[in-house]
Amino acid sequence: MIKVNPDIEFKKQLKDISKSSLNECMQCGTCSVVCSLAPEERPFPRKEMIWAGWGMKDKLIGNTDIWLCHQCGDCSTYCPRGVKPADVFSAIREISYQHYAKPKFLGKILNNPKWLPIAILIPVVIISAILFMAGTLQIPEGPVNYSKFFPHAWLNSSFTFLWFLTIGLGIVGLRNFWNDLKLQNPDSTSTGNFIKNLLSVRKEIILHSNFSKCSAQKTRKFAHLLVFYGFILLLFVTAFAIYAAVVHKYPLGLMHPFKVLGNIAAVMLFVGLGIMIANRLFNKKDFGNSTYTDWLFLISMFFLTTSGVVIEAARFLNWSFAYHLYFFHLICVWFIIIYIPYTKFGHILFRIVAMVYAASINRKLK
Amino acid sequence: MNIKPVLVIGGGISGVTSAVEIAEVGKEVILIEKNPYLGGNVVKFNNYFPKLCPPTCGLEINFRRIKQNPRIKYFTSTEVIEVTGEKGDFKVKMKTKPQYIKNNCTACGKCAEVCPEERPNEFNYGFTNTKAAYLPHEMAFPYKFQIDDEFCKKEACNKCVEACEYNAIDLSAKEEISEIEVSSIIIATGWKNYDASKIENLNYSNSQNIITNVEFERFIASNGLNENKLLRLSDNTEPKKIAFVQCAGSRDENHLPYCSAVCCSASLKHALTIQELYPEAEVKIFYIDMRVAGRNEDFLVKVQENKNIELVKGKVGKISETENNNLILEAEDILSGKKIKYEAEMAILATGIVPSDIKFDLNKDQNQFITDLQKDGIIPVACSRKPMDVSSSVKDATAAAVKAIQIS
Amino acid sequence: MDKKVGVYICSGCEIGKSIDINKLGQVASEQNVSICKNHSSLCSIEGFDLINNDIASENLDKIIIAACSPRVKTEVFDFPENILVERTNIREQIAWSMEPGDEDTQMAAEDYLRMSIAKVNNTEVPTPFISENLSSDILVVGGGITGITAAIDGAKAGYNIHLIEKEPKLGGWLNKLYKQIPYSAPYNALKETELENRIKELEQYENIQIHTSTTINQIDGQPGQFEVSLQNSKNEKITVGSIVTSTGWQPYDANKLSHLGYGKSNVVTNVEFEEFVKNKPDKELPKNILFIQCAGSRDKDHLPYCSAFCCATSLKQATYIRDLSPDSNVFVVYKDIRTLGLYEEFYKEVQKDDQIFFTKGEIQEIIESENKLKVNVKDTLIGEDISLSVDMIVLATGMVPNGTEDLNLNYRLGKGLPELKYNFSDSHFICFPYETRRTGIYAAGSLRAPMDIASSKSDASGAMLKAIQTIEATKRGEAVHPRSGDKSYPDLFLDRCTDCKRCTEECPFGAYDETEKGTPLPNPNRCRRCGICLGACPERVINFADYSINSVSAMIKSVEVPDEFEEKPRILVFVCENDAYPAMDMAGQKGLKYSPYVRVIPVRCIGSINKVWISDALSKGYDGILQIGCKPGDDYQCHFIHGSELTEKRGENIQETLETMMLEPERMRTEFVEITDYDKIPQIINDYVEEIELIGPNPFKDM
Repeated sequence: MIKVNPDIEFKKQLKDISKSSLNECMQCGTCSVVCSLAPEERPFPRKEMIWAGWGMKDKLIGNTDIWLCHQCGDCSTYCPRGVKPADVFSAIREISYQHYAKPKFLGKILNNPKWLPIAILIPVVIISAILFMAGTLQIPEGPVNYSKFFPHAWLNSSFTFLWFLTIGLGIVGLRNFWNDLKLQNPDSTSTGNFIKNLLSVRKEIILHSNFSKCSAQKTRKFAHLLVFYGFILLLFVTAFAIYAAVVHKYPLGLMHPFKVLGNIAAVMLFVGLGIMIANRLFNKKDFGNSTYTDWLFLISMFFLTTSGVVIEAARFLNWSFAYHLYFFHLICVWFIIIYIPYTKFGHILFRIVAMVYAASINRKLK
Repeated sequence: MNIKPVLVIGGGISGVTSAVEIAEVGKEVILIEKNPYLGGNVVKFNNYFPKLCPPTCGLEINFRRIKQNPRIKYFTSTEVIEVTGEKGDFKVKMKTKPQYIKNNCTACGKCAEVCPEERPNEFNYGFTNTKAAYLPHEMAFPYKFQIDDEFCKKEACNKCVEACEYNAIDLSAKEEISEIEVSSIIIATGWKNYDASKIENLNYSNSQNIITNVEFERFIASNGLNENKLLRLSDNTEPKKIAFVQCAGSRDENHLPYCSAVCCSASLKHALTIQELYPEAEVKIFYIDMRVAGRNEDFLVKVQENKNIELVKGKVGKISETENNNLILEAEDILSGKKIKYEAEMAILATGIVPSDIKFDLNKDQNQFITDLQKDGIIPVACSRKPMDVSSSVKDATAAAVKAIQIS
Repeated sequence: MDKKVGVYICSGCEIGKSIDINKLGQVASEQNVSICKNHSSLCSIEGFDLINNDIASENLDKIIIAACSPRVKTEVFDFPENILVERTNIREQIAWSMEPGDEDTQMAAEDYLRMSIAKVNNTEVPTPFISENLSSDILVVGGGITGITAAIDGAKAGYNIHLIEKEPKLGGWLNKLYKQIPYSAPYNALKETELENRIKELEQYENIQIHTSTTINQIDGQPGQFEVSLQNSKNEKITVGSIVTSTGWQPYDANKLSHLGYGKSNVVTNVEFEEFVKNKPDKELPKNILFIQCAGSRDKDHLPYCSAFCCATSLKQATYIRDLSPDSNVFVVYKDIRTLGLYEEFYKEVQKDDQIFFTKGEIQEIIESENKLKVNVKDTLIGEDISLSVDMIVLATGMVPNGTEDLNLNYRLGKGLPELKYNFSDSHFICFPYETRRTGIYAAGSLRAPMDIASSKSDASGAMLKAIQTIEATKRGEAVHPRSGDKSYPDLFLDRCTDCKRCTEECPFGAYDETEKGTPLPNPNRCRRCGICLGACPERVINFADYSINSVSAMIKSVEVPDEFEEKPRILVFVCENDAYPAMDMAGQKGLKYSPYVRVIPVRCIGSINKVWISDALSKGYDGILQIGCKPGDDYQCHFIHGSELTEKRGENIQETLETMMLEPERMRTEFVEITDYDKIPQIINDYVEEIELIGPNPFKDM
């Protein structure tokens, strides 16, 4: 027995973000059937739609199924009432980033365009402060050498520290999320430990096989794989760069294998992001509503990649504004990796946690 | 003063009713129908809900009322193409298809015997063929043969002309345009069923064993495809597991945003009809809301009490075909929250009501139904103005009759 | 002076190949007919002219056309009204359904012609019964929206209307409505109540007399001549031609709904709630309001039917609650949301509101505590049971018809209209929703079936049409549906009447009143010409000009029954002309063959078969009698309500007759068919013929 006390504000927020007329759902269940992932028992998204309609925030935030959805949009395509469950799910995820955000204000400023200047100001101020402390807060003379501007030790240590900090904060949020997942499934007992369950979903993470079940959006899996592996490759290259900076000569030459790898990764990201952006811009019918949160993540990723390539060129060509670009690039890096738990990039964390939890209670997708 | 007749457009159950009711008051009526026979959609039905009685029973009485009433004139194979004028004095232009077989046809059937050409039988939704010279159906009114000029080779063949002992065939007949003056116009143009092939996820176009509710009427009717037997098209076997898919197109923004009002009761009727013929057959009806209003609730209870009929709350989202031409219907059983895959041997789509096309200007609503906002003297009735069942249509047609006789 | 009869035999459509036409003609010449002619196609212009010229030149009074079924070519065989036309069906029911050229087929054709000759010799063209001083006024009982609509429609059509209402004020339930459901495109916004406008419209018509605070003391008479005594300040007496009754409905007694919380504070019915808002639209509404749908309806312990208006009404009320009180939450717990047809647009519109919450569910319990109502609901769409804490509950109670007893009809069969089920005075016929068993009196609106305002208004118009039609048909001396246009009427030879009351009891339409002694008092304008009284009368005193004891007896006796040694049985088949007769025609048209030993006599209704015909047939030597009628039972298809059912009751009588004649009970059989059962006709006939052949010949043959 659940006590009903509709959270009207939550419902309005959901409608606002998703642009879905979710009230008009008549509970026919078409969405659950056409969904290529929904499990046989308690399938989604039909049940979530009535919870949304009834403003049952508690049942939706910290709900496993919200994160098992891959946003393919089949449900929205076939919904006889045109209420777009896929967009509602997306909106719930977006609200989740804010809900589990530690500190809360970061969740808020990263999911609302009116706080964008603040979101930008934070890295500007902090990076400037670090540069000030390092004593390099000026444009260096001579050939472009970024370490003159931001000494490697300062850069690597500060960014690593900040990254660990927000990841730590993210983990606090994820712990709360994990507890909510358990709370939502009082009848299921988790089996196995986190690592074992994580291993059990590794195949899905590596292969993205659930993406291919999506019939409405064929290009999505391809684009996501490109971005996913492109980014991992970049992380790998970056890690090597940090290592290189510590142990031997840095920067690397243009033909250095790692530099080549980095550029391949950039191409992968460009192609992947290009498809994603084009789809969101030109195929709204299948891809649904795109929110600020979607765009912020996509655009920062795009800027990150672009600025990365451009500063590389700037270094070789000794462009005069190379350091400005470098500064901009650092802000992009910040938006992607420091802000990770608060932006859409957080899905990588929430989704993996939800997948692991689902594996632990043996909730299998179709 | 010379009072002009009332025009009734559409000779289905509603139009026929309006016409006889007006004529029996003592007024003149002209009834026109685009098909070569009166009776519209219902004449193709096997039975009516909730009594499971044959539509031809009531039509027989109504046709008798037309036959013995000199105040009714009717024109079949005729459509209105233009309406001008005002209430009390409308001028109506109508087009009559070529009448290759004249009214002195005795329905002896000689023409069909010798006719070498075949045509898909519209009366059975094209599932069977007739000769190009054909009697539309055994209860056809007017009771005479027709020639389908799409398939007839006309004078090049001429076999029917030679066979006809009554000189009733004129293959050179031409389309005729005529004009009449009437005092008021009842629009009883009725409905057609929604094109099920547009509902892609239900796979209608790709499986012979998925049929629509109106087609089912012909499948099971005593004068239908198999004379009171239900046979699958794929292998001519009698299906023992049959599923009904409610709201196939209706209540769907991608298709018909409104409820078609009759399909729930119609499927209950079909389920009971199947049970009468095959008491062992298993029937499942997938629905969103069971919409049987008023006293028809009894009919629903009767179905609920039948242990071989199961009502499942949940819309079918997908139908796929197996190798042996069975059908897998997928739905979420909303009340238990489980996904169901039901293997049926036949699936019947409860397709909805779409207003018939009309070739002259009228005010229509967002769903193409004719609104009440018409010129004075133009009276929309029954399914031309909203989806409704037969009994309500007849009621509406009688109501329209009183509006018509007020104008003279 | 003897009437002159002409016989015309058609040889077209295979008749000539199946039957020896010349030999058939000899049958006619053996009888007392003036002319007998053959033609290859009587329905041609030449054929018609042949007959028409003879009518003029030979002064024929009656003609027999032995050709196709009387169901076809009616537009051709259209002769002056004073000519009696008999159609002998030798095409569908002989040439097309019996072996061509066979001796037995020939005998059948000859007998059919003999029967037709016997029939025309014993019938006349009916002279209609037209009473004097017929009133064209129409009484409308009940001044709610249905009555008002009916009155306006009648007045617009030019009839004088008496609208009576028992309350001092017109309008009925509409007086209590705050808003109305959207009943026209685009079906998405509530409408202001239309009552004021409708009453203004009503008052424009000088031919509407409004009698408020008025009830009916008694209604006497028949269509065209209903004498109505009103009970009001003036105690007027008025005469009307026909009546529309629209006395409406009552909400279901919510006191019986204590399981849904009625009786607790802040639990109200939908009607109470509407009235509350109507009277105090400015009063603040509670924060959380729950609607419980089907409160009493769709419940075998209360109202087994769906009340049809409650879903849309709750949607309406939810809408205005939200307009009046932007902070309120509205919950709706339903069984099914029944917004049929275009009302779906309204449902969708209401769903758009963020604070109206819908779920299917069953109310488990309602607990009152601290000004709150805690409602537990099971079987919800939420996936688990829910508990709602609300400030007010609105029960969507259903509709109970007011009944028609207050018409106070001075009819032998009761004061009101017969009720079909659950006290609704509805028609049993899908194709004929205005079928009434009290000719000239039509029920409209929610006393006929559960319905909303839009539906009631359309119903009112339809009922008014039927009322007007009855007046006009009565003026012409014609029957109304289903034998529309029939000018015959029952003629009673009361000298021989024994006051047994069977006709008065069995007439489905209450056409007969009776004296204290029990002598029937016919009201021909109420009569629907089914002939059930003719079938009921043991003294054979009831007859129609064109359908009588004698005419059918003569037909039966005209058949040449072979003596028993020929082993050619004769089976008399009475078929109901409504469904069984067309089914036989279709069997013929389909080329289905059956035994040539049958002799078919169409009857108006299987209930019009008089016992004397049975004994006539058995005495004549027929070996068996088969009667085929329409389906009886709960879903009966008999067009005269209980004609088929009566056969059961009368069956015992007939079995007695058989017993006294020392005959086997199997010599009489009853079958019921639907019009589409044509494929079963050969089997029904052949099975019976076979059985009779087994039993052997009727011992009365040749006696």
